[in-house]
Amino acid sequence: MTELLTGSQILCRVLREQGIDLLFGYPGGAIMPFYHALPEYPELRHVLVRHEQAAAHAADGYARASGRPGVCVATSGPGATNLVTGLATAHMDNTPVVAITGQVSRAMLGRDAFQETDIIGITQPITKHSILVEEVDELADAVREAIAVATEGRPGPVLVDVPKDVQTGKAEWGAGRGDAGAQGRRGAPFCDAATLRPSAAASDLDHAARLITAAERPLIMAGHGVILAEAYEELRQLAERTGIPVITTLLGISAFPESHPLHLGMPGMHGEVHVNRAIQQADLIIGVGLRFDDRVTGNLAAFARGARVIHLELDPSEVGKNVPVAVGLVGDARALLGALLQRVDRRECGAWRAEIASYVRPRPESYRGDLSPEAILRAIEEETGGRCTIVSDVGQHQMWVAKLYRYQRPNSHITSGGLGTMGFAVPAAMGVALARPDEPVWAISGDGGFQMNMQEIATMVQEGIPVKMAVFNNGYLGMVRQWQQFFHGRRYSATPIWSPDYVRLAEAYGIPGRRVETGAEVEDAVREALERPGPALVEFQIEQEANVFPMIPPGASLSEPIEAEPGRLVPA
Amino acid sequence: MSAGAQAVSVLIEDRMITLTRAVGLLRRRNYPVRSFAVGPTATPGLARLTIMIQSDPSTAERAVQHLQKMIGVREASALPAGGAVACEVALVKVRAPGSRYGELLDVLQLYRASVVDDSADAVIVEVSGSDAFVLSCLRALERFEILEVARSGAVALESGAGTGAASPNS
Repeated sequence: MTELLTGSQILCRVLREQGIDLLFGYPGGAIMPFYHALPEYPELRHVLVRHEQAAAHAADGYARASGRPGVCVATSGPGATNLVTGLATAHMDNTPVVAITGQVSRAMLGRDAFQETDIIGITQPITKHSILVEEVDELADAVREAIAVATEGRPGPVLVDVPKDVQTGKAEWGAGRGDAGAQGRRGAPFCDAATLRPSAAASDLDHAARLITAAERPLIMAGHGVILAEAYEELRQLAERTGIPVITTLLGISAFPESHPLHLGMPGMHGEVHVNRAIQQADLIIGVGLRFDDRVTGNLAAFARGARVIHLELDPSEVGKNVPVAVGLVGDARALLGALLQRVDRRECGAWRAEIASYVRPRPESYRGDLSPEAILRAIEEETGGRCTIVSDVGQHQMWVAKLYRYQRPNSHITSGGLGTMGFAVPAAMGVALARPDEPVWAISGDGGFQMNMQEIATMVQEGIPVKMAVFNNGYLGMVRQWQQFFHGRRYSATPIWSPDYVRLAEAYGIPGRRVETGAEVEDAVREALERPGPALVEFQIEQEANVFPMIPPGASLSEPIEAEPGRLVPA
Repeated sequence: MSAGAQAVSVLIEDRMITLTRAVGLLRRRNYPVRSFAVGPTATPGLARLTIMIQSDPSTAERAVQHLQKMIGVREASALPAGGAVACEVALVKVRAPGSRYGELLDVLQLYRASVVDDSADAVIVEVSGSDAFVLSCLRALERFEILEVARSGAVALESGAGTGAASPNS
């Protein structure tokens, strides 16, 4: 039985067929036919954002929190170009985002028509794939393919560009080629989840197991791949069976419970001294679902020189890209960890763990004081009982959020790691909140990043999205200021930043707003924000020149941390 | 294949967007591309892209891994040095005075090159072979006046019955 539908109706119907029930978007000329059809499909909830960038970040946040594809919609030209930062963010952090953009009619393509941009060309290096739909009867399969590509293997964003006359054209629903058509167009199989490459499998796993057994100072480094594969249990079992301490990268945070005795902390540029020192002293590093990014390794030539590396990774092009590996195991983190678990002997790493414990340094003074980042994060942890998701922005607060909260539950920390997108937290938290309606979601930003996308408070109010927003206000673009202080002779060029009165801003949007100026108010303010229904805003006026310690200077090795204000002694 | 150049052979969907993506990937990842050539294959809808990368084999292998991830790429492999043939075509527009035409023909014979266009004021010479062979022919032609050169970039195939699909790289 076939039905004649418009392209727009097909678009809505195929989204439903693929299990999509939420869209973040913004209408405009070239996508109007789609928006005309949308009310016929009330099971597709549409969230009207205030800027298309927010639609992409919200779809990203939804995808990270739910494990399902996040969908954003924009019109051609400026609507589509506004998605770019969000797509690049999703691309760097491997999240399944599908962007649907309107495009000028086919007859106008290439003529510099009103609101025409080559969005396929623009987004080519920042999407996993993109499709220009040239015929209305190809539309359904294009969307099916987009969702399949976005979610399969190493996830990533996919863009579907739909000319206006394809949206208005008609085709028969049900006569499509179905999934087979989409499958046929895909190229070489790319890392089928849970499939080990036959040449890699048994002998390499055995080799890896032997290295693990023989190592005296082994470490596990867990990255985003553990979260994407939901390999929490396998990771924990491997650690417990072998006694190997676990490091979590920025995007690997919450892949392993932080109260666990084997949890070490975050490595890299702002990693704790004992974590980086352990890496430098290690004789074996088991990297799981990470790409050994430069923020993790510091100077590559001096990274873990005594360590052999076992790299468990879904994408074969990552193995050996930055760090030479002794064994590369290509496949899904969960499957690989499970296979390793079968092969490793039970052991302890007591002496090694005691040695690492002796590296631990007292927490630097910059965190202390009355209204410290530590106090704020402790209050959020205590007031929520740890039952919340924290979405951070980019900058100093991002590092504090990463380090000063004990993440116990899987995937409870969400941030823009690879691209480092300021302005991410507020819109991404909207997506997270819609994916997790049963728990509080905190968007924590600095005063800089918050002002990049604070317009989305209006979206939260209109759509009833209860994001709790915390602004760490130090009057500076703090991380840049810190670099200026350390490496640019304290020349604070363009880093002092004025903020509006956030309490009155909240008032203007009709949401609770509170300014916190002393440590004594912190807990009460956090509690109040949690108790009031709907979105809420809390501004914390923190120490203006607080720094993130320790810090590995850019280009230096992990063995050269700055541990205190230049010229001051490390606190005893 | 000239020293240090690795041939990467890629079967792609014969569409502009796929070609743009493949070339864009090589640019973005900063591969030292010396030439590329693209043309149809025996299978309708599939084109072969041959890329010469001036690098060591491991760089070529990494390029293959990145290309293999692209939608629209059916197959990509780094051809084994010594186990593949590569050749290219050059068209060379040469001006030789009538008095030296015989000398020009001698050079062409040496390189199995032929005159494909013979105008009053210049000839166009076609020569094909390995990169080194074509370069050597160009050098030999320099004793005349070379007006213009068009080179196709190398195409390459693995020796033997292997078709790339069975190579350890794919």
